[in-house]
Amino acid sequence: MNNLWLIAKHEYRGTVFKRAFILMTLAIPLGLAAVIALTIFVVTSGENNLPVGYVDQAGVLNATRQSLAPTPTGIEIRAFPDEETALAALEGEEIQAFFVLPSNYPNTLQTDLYYLQEPPSNDVWGDFDNFVRANLVASYPDEMRKRLIEGPNITVHDIVSKREFSERSIVNVILPFVASFFFFVATMSASGYMLQVVATEKENRTMEIMVTSVTPGQLIGGKTVGLLAAALTQLSIYVIAAVVGLIVAAPHVEALQQVTVPWAYLGVMGLFFIPSYALIAAVMVAVGAAVTKVQEAQQVAGLLNMLFILPILMTVVIIQNPGHPLAVFLSLFPTTAFLTISMRWGLGTVPLWQIGIGWVLLIVTTIFMVWAAARVFRAGMLRYGQPLNLKAAVAVIRGD
Amino acid sequence: MHTVEVSHLSKRFGDTQAVADVSFAVEPGEIFGLLGPNGAGKTTTIRMMLDIFRPDAGTVSIFGGQLDLAKKRRIGYMPEDRGLYKDLKLEPTLIYLATLKGLDAKTAHSRLDEWLERFDLAEHRQKKVQELSGGMQQKAQIIATLLHDPDLIVADEPFAALDPVNTRLVKQILEEQRQAGKSILMSTHQMYQVEALCDRIVLIDEGRTVLYGAVDEIKRSFAGNAVVIEGQGDFTDIPGVLEARKHNDTWHLALQVGTDPQAVFRTLAARENVKIERFELEEPSLDDIFVNVVQNGAANPSAVSGATLRTRLEARHE
Repeated sequence: MNNLWLIAKHEYRGTVFKRAFILMTLAIPLGLAAVIALTIFVVTSGENNLPVGYVDQAGVLNATRQSLAPTPTGIEIRAFPDEETALAALEGEEIQAFFVLPSNYPNTLQTDLYYLQEPPSNDVWGDFDNFVRANLVASYPDEMRKRLIEGPNITVHDIVSKREFSERSIVNVILPFVASFFFFVATMSASGYMLQVVATEKENRTMEIMVTSVTPGQLIGGKTVGLLAAALTQLSIYVIAAVVGLIVAAPHVEALQQVTVPWAYLGVMGLFFIPSYALIAAVMVAVGAAVTKVQEAQQVAGLLNMLFILPILMTVVIIQNPGHPLAVFLSLFPTTAFLTISMRWGLGTVPLWQIGIGWVLLIVTTIFMVWAAARVFRAGMLRYGQPLNLKAAVAVIRGD
Repeated sequence: MHTVEVSHLSKRFGDTQAVADVSFAVEPGEIFGLLGPNGAGKTTTIRMMLDIFRPDAGTVSIFGGQLDLAKKRRIGYMPEDRGLYKDLKLEPTLIYLATLKGLDAKTAHSRLDEWLERFDLAEHRQKKVQELSGGMQQKAQIIATLLHDPDLIVADEPFAALDPVNTRLVKQILEEQRQAGKSILMSTHQMYQVEALCDRIVLIDEGRTVLYGAVDEIKRSFAGNAVVIEGQGDFTDIPGVLEARKHNDTWHLALQVGTDPQAVFRTLAARENVKIERFELEEPSLDDIFVNVVQNGAANPSAVSGATLRTRLEARHE
């Protein structure tokens, strides 16, 4: 047992202090932060805070009712008696645009918009919509008017999983999707390191010394634990960065204030994470032991990675219809279950039977792969010149 | 109790019979040579001995029983395929390997200081392994083998890549280990090193033990298979002679198995242009014995079978 921890410690240190690992770990959160900061900068720097005007030829709007409508942008909505005056204000850059409600507006609900170069943003447009709505329902009782202006907020209650979905908590829908991406990156990078350390051990010819010092189980177990710890370190840094980001951004972004900790999601992902990691690690151990060079290992692993990243390639199908038979199949298939269930989580309810069967299949496959990888490892670890091809590997697994 | 006892080992890889029937024992306080031509099965035998490969048949006993983790820690192994972590620094690499053998880091550090000084590697301790020369890496490998003070040292070609000065140093260290009561199993092609160091040897050919016993006894058994001649004339092209070498003014003739030295003498005496001043039986070198046995498939000058000689030598040893 002591040897297992010694190997784990050695691998952990050897991995987390590598330049590639540090870059990978810091680059993703820093990159995302940079993209978000850039987006905010571009949006805010291009923001037009000039008032928006309107010409009401239908006589349905009253400027005093502006206070009845929610206007998140805070843009002033200014009335003009006719189009000429409004146009002069537009050309004089007093306003950014103006709407014209023609006299037949109550029948057609059509408006005209005038602007010089850039149309008003969606938010400004939304403010004006709210203003029009407030005017149209001004004669209704207060309660009814408020309800009509706020519009519907449908909350779906799933009676099986007891989960709730509200369109106003859209961040809670997106979060599992983003989290699954981070889980995925951490898992794949850990498995990549697994492949590399096994192939490097073989390339360095240290395998023979190692297996005369420790058992093959301790060797592989130690490497797996060490690299899992490295993966969790990476994941923790992502999570801390995300939490800090949320705390910093929440006061400025209303949607982020709705975020709640998705405990159920974290629980299910916890169940899938370890066996999924063990499955990938076992595949990588077998590949690393079977080939003779790190470069060959990476080529073979690149092909095998396709088995694990399939849900990413099927993102559109999963988003459009989380219950699609393909999405269900990917939820049950051992190499894709983890990522698919994670992606589907925020989009709707993943039936319990699918989670259960997916998990059982994953566990069974993982146990088999760990056993098979141990056999391939023992047969392939000392084959320096000649790789163990697929046929030979199958023969080894079958015990021929 | 034997340190190592290998009995009738065999191993097949696909269609290749790597080891067919190998038996030997290594005692405490001896240097034991595991010899054989390329592809004879030496490395496979060592790997089976150390539980890297599982034998198809036969048994291995190390320190009186099956190899387990505690016994693995008493073994220092220098494999034929040398290997250290190339992108790691020398000192942490050696400490890591020693701790895997059960040594605590503090003791490993203090012992390492001595070994690095002795092998003239102290100033390179913070260099990456890949920055060291081949000879330095070889010395580092020897340190990795000895740092945890093993009771059994298994060294596959320990003198490969070493210059004469370091070869002498390694020989001296092996002698010290023997005097300390350690068992050393050494596989090498350098027969003069075997003659200089080994107490006993086993010779494997085509996966079988063909010669086994004390070096002195084997050499005595093969005396008569070579003759030394001084004189004038042509001493080549003699029936029954494998090789005729002239060194200074002396001819060394290696005889084929079954060749009677008297017949060689008579052949030479019958030549008109030959004058013989000295003719005597020579105790053959291990190199000659190796070539003779491997090329001619015979294990002693009287053409007794390898198995017979082996049995006789085993009986003497016991």
